[in-house]
Amino acid sequence: MSASWGKLFFQLVLLLASCGHINTKTPSPTSPSLDPISPLPSDIRRVVLKGESHTEKVELLNPVDLALECIWSGNENKSPNITGYWRKDGEEMQSIRVTVQLENDKYTLRQVFKIVSKENLGSYSCSFGDEAKADFLLAGPQIGEVRDKPIVSYVGDSVVVKCKMDEKKPKPASWNWYKANGTDKEQIFYAAEPQKYEIKNHEWVTKLVVHKLTEGDSGFYYCEGVYAVSTTMGHVELKVITFLEPLKPFIAIIVEVIVLVAAILIYEKSQSKKNSAGGNETNADQTNTPTPGDNNGPEESSSTRQRKV
Amino acid sequence: MNNHGPKAKSHSGEAEGPNGDWSWVLVGALFISTGLVFGLMRIMGIFFVEFVNYFEESSQSISWITSISLATQQFFSPVATALCNAYETRAVVMTGGFLSGLGLIAASQATCLVHLYLSMGVITGLGWALVFTPMMATVVANISQRRALALGLGLSSIGIFSFTLSPLFQLLVEMYTWRGALLIMGGLSLNIMVCGALIRPQWCSKALKKVDSKPRSSCATVLRRVSSYLELPVLLERPYLTYTATITIFNAGYFVPYVHLVALSRMTGFSEYQAAFIMSATGVTDILGRVTTGWFSDLGYFRTIHLLSLWVVLAGLFIILLPVSSLTGSYAALMAISLLYGFCSGALSSLVFAVMPMIVGVERVMGALGLLQLIESGAGLLGAPLSGLLKDMTGNYTVSFIVAGSFLIVGTLIMTTLPHYFSRTDPPPPHRVPHDVKDRGVHLELEHINNSPSDTSPKGAQ
Repeated sequence: MSASWGKLFFQLVLLLASCGHINTKTPSPTSPSLDPISPLPSDIRRVVLKGESHTEKVELLNPVDLALECIWSGNENKSPNITGYWRKDGEEMQSIRVTVQLENDKYTLRQVFKIVSKENLGSYSCSFGDEAKADFLLAGPQIGEVRDKPIVSYVGDSVVVKCKMDEKKPKPASWNWYKANGTDKEQIFYAAEPQKYEIKNHEWVTKLVVHKLTEGDSGFYYCEGVYAVSTTMGHVELKVITFLEPLKPFIAIIVEVIVLVAAILIYEKSQSKKNSAGGNETNADQTNTPTPGDNNGPEESSSTRQRKV
Repeated sequence: MNNHGPKAKSHSGEAEGPNGDWSWVLVGALFISTGLVFGLMRIMGIFFVEFVNYFEESSQSISWITSISLATQQFFSPVATALCNAYETRAVVMTGGFLSGLGLIAASQATCLVHLYLSMGVITGLGWALVFTPMMATVVANISQRRALALGLGLSSIGIFSFTLSPLFQLLVEMYTWRGALLIMGGLSLNIMVCGALIRPQWCSKALKKVDSKPRSSCATVLRRVSSYLELPVLLERPYLTYTATITIFNAGYFVPYVHLVALSRMTGFSEYQAAFIMSATGVTDILGRVTTGWFSDLGYFRTIHLLSLWVVLAGLFIILLPVSSLTGSYAALMAISLLYGFCSGALSSLVFAVMPMIVGVERVMGALGLLQLIESGAGLLGAPLSGLLKDMTGNYTVSFIVAGSFLIVGTLIMTTLPHYFSRTDPPPPHRVPHDVKDRGVHLELEHINNSPSDTSPKGAQ
């Protein structure tokens, strides 16, 4: 008897000790279940199963007590009881397998999940026996604008890579940047190389500035917006080119200009040489147009023609 | 010159004189060079977003680049025309082409905004100044038959170039970023040198001034020569002043739709693509307007100046109707009015230049156009910001468009005060004698021009 009292006393002490912790509204992700005092906000997602299966996307940013409810109207033989169970990321959660009663011609399966950290996100499925199934995809919000065309820049120049979150959704608490290294291997940026990288975050927008570009800096860059429980990832491609690239069409155009100008001038010279044999005086007269005495002629004279109104 | 008659004619078709084949080569040169000047200026908007992102400056700072280049082009126009009067037009235009290319090439290496202001703004603007007005004046002075059509064709390139080069430069910016695209743009601008090469030296109509045989350059002589190259005396004439005032007021309202039409469409609730499409469609009718009105004006049924007034009044009316049609919220209405506006604005812009010889006489067109560009530049600079200010004050574009349209209508009223405005035929062009030419022979020649029968025949009328 005293042993059980002792155990109880011990548990009470433990309880009081844990209650004594000052807890903020959002529990830290590392201690998921130590907050009996301040309840989480609650939310409910309900799915009515029609046909075989259904997928529902749920966007979560902050910790929440999420109630997921599946309602199924059953099949031809409405058995009074059916086993309802939940799966997370494909693995069955054995502890919450229940037997569902048929009520009002429907089976209702409801479960509350505490979402407090990244591990709690994922794919939750409710199943009625082997017959009907619905999926809830719990994830962070989609990144706002994703630029599908690569950002181009030059060797030695600096470039700004930008990621923007949809302004209708709340701001991420922080941002991380990753660079793709080989196949799917990602490395995190820090201000470890401040001359090379600079991260500027401002509300919904994060900018990564890369200085002194080299061709090795080409590739995919990933921006990750961090929320309390979830993250969201966007990607941008960077392409670094040398100045020789636009120089090639440029030189082609220069050559064309030189060729044309030379052609025109040569043509004109050859024309005037041809005519100088016959009309040397004509040439001279036309260049010194208003010489006196010449201008009493009729409109045929070219000088007058020049000024015909 | 009589005895050289047949030889003069056979001095190859190239110098068959104005209205000959070579004139149309000049129109082609005008086409290309004007397109490379104003067409490129219009496409500068493509770089706008890139600059804002790269230099992290406000849109206002970036839009100064275009303003500086336009202002420089107009401000230095009299200098350009004076240089043409003093030296060869060909050299001036080729230098201008070189400078405009150089400015853009330098801009491709820019590391700060001021660098862009100086290169893309000042140097390129200066280059454009040395190109546009001299080429315009050359064509105006050397074509008398079908002048308006020639000008319309020559100026139609602005719309055509901005229409076709727009997607091309968008692609270049994607492939090579703005630096590479600017480099290539600079290379393209160098093609203006080709156009300049097409101007034959002896066609400079200011050869008149070469008669001045005083080699001594005393201060007074130099000043007088400079003032004659700049055509400053023309500023003292009432017709010219009236016309310049008119065009200046036109300029205050004329550019407003180009700057604000997209914003107006977006405000009415249309998407980016719909708004851009309205602009493109307006550009197409602009081209049509230029060419059609040129052709129609040359038929001679009406005086060019009356047609000009008509198009201006209509353009002003349509500008006023633009916000009204947007109030109805109908895309079709806005599109229809924009198309009509585009047609009228294209029509009036080519006729503005065609009327000039009638006001000042052909031999002074070069300098007169230069001064006109300078004077009208002030209004052009102020027009768009004024409209923006009105929009900020009232919250929408209705008032600013109404004001812009009324500028055009007021300008037309002023234009009616020109001498002989209400007469049915063109008056004889003025024959002021340039005051540093003492040659009696020249005076005789000028009188001869004025007595030539070209005035009374409808074909020759402006």
